[in-house]
Amino acid sequence: MKIFSTSIQALEKGIQYSGAKHKAISHNIANVDTPNFKRKEIKPNFGETYQRALEANKTDDRHREFSGSSNKAFKMDNTSYSYSHNGNNVDIDKEMSDLAENQIYYYTLIDQMSGKFQSLQNVIKGGRG
Amino acid sequence: MSMFKSMNISSSALTAQRLRMDVISSNMANVDSTRGEYRNGQWEPYRRKLVETAPKENSFQSYLQKASGNGSGFGSGVKVTRIKEDDAPFRVMFDPEHPDANEDGYVELPNVDPLKEMVDLMSASRSYEANVTVFNASKGIMMKTLELGK
Repeated sequence: MKIFSTSIQALEKGIQYSGAKHKAISHNIANVDTPNFKRKEIKPNFGETYQRALEANKTDDRHREFSGSSNKAFKMDNTSYSYSHNGNNVDIDKEMSDLAENQIYYYTLIDQMSGKFQSLQNVIKGGRG
Repeated sequence: MSMFKSMNISSSALTAQRLRMDVISSNMANVDSTRGEYRNGQWEPYRRKLVETAPKENSFQSYLQKASGNGSGFGSGVKVTRIKEDDAPFRVMFDPEHPDANEDGYVELPNVDPLKEMVDLMSASRSYEANVTVFNASKGIMMKTLELGK
C-alpha cells in the first residue's frame, strides 16, 4: 500500500526548480551593471514527467524503452541578445517581476507541501487531533 | 545548503555596488584636486576612477556542480576585477593666479565630470536597492521553508 502519494515528490521537484530559478534571478540582478553579461534562465525540464507518463507498452523483450533524457527538474538556458549598450542583456523590470512571481510560486509549493504533511499527521493520529 | 548561496550572490552585489558608490564619492570629493599624484617631479591632477566588474562564474563550486551534473553551473554573483583610472584628457582652465598654473596661466583640472558621477551614483544606488529586495526575497523563502513541518 502506498502511504505517501507521489505528489510529495512532484512538489519536491517543483521546490528544487523554484530554488534554482531564484538563484539564477539573484545572479542576473547581481550582474545588472556588469558589461557583456548575458542573463541566465532556468526552464522546467519535462523529460522525466514525459517518461513516466509515456511508458512503452512492451510486448516483446527486444522492444526499446522510450528514451528519457535526464532526471533533473530544470535545465539552464543562456540567452545571448543584447539589451543595453554595454552588451548586458538584463532587463531589471523583468527580473524583479520574475523574482516576485517565483517567490509566490515557492510559497504556494511550500503551503501545498505543508498541507500534505498535515493530512498525513491527521491520518496518523486517527483524526483525534 | 544551496539556498544560502542566493544570499551570498546578493551580498556580493551589495558589496560591489557599495564600492562603486565609495569610488564615486572619491571622484566627487576630488573634483578640483590639482595635486593627485606626484609624477616625474611635478604634480598631476587627480584621475577619475572606475570600478570594473565581472560575473563570478569560475568558482570551484560551480565547476563541481557542472561536473556532477547537479545543477548546471550557476553563476555565483559579481566580483570587482579592478579599479581602473580614466584615461580621458584633463580639463584645462585659464587661471593665472592658481598655484599650479603653468607659464601660460592654464591649470589642468581632474577629468571628473560631476554630472556623469551623479548619474553613476543613481545607477549604483538603484542597483543596491534592487539587490536588497532580492536579499529580502531569499530571506522570505528561507523563513517560509522553516514553516514546513510545523
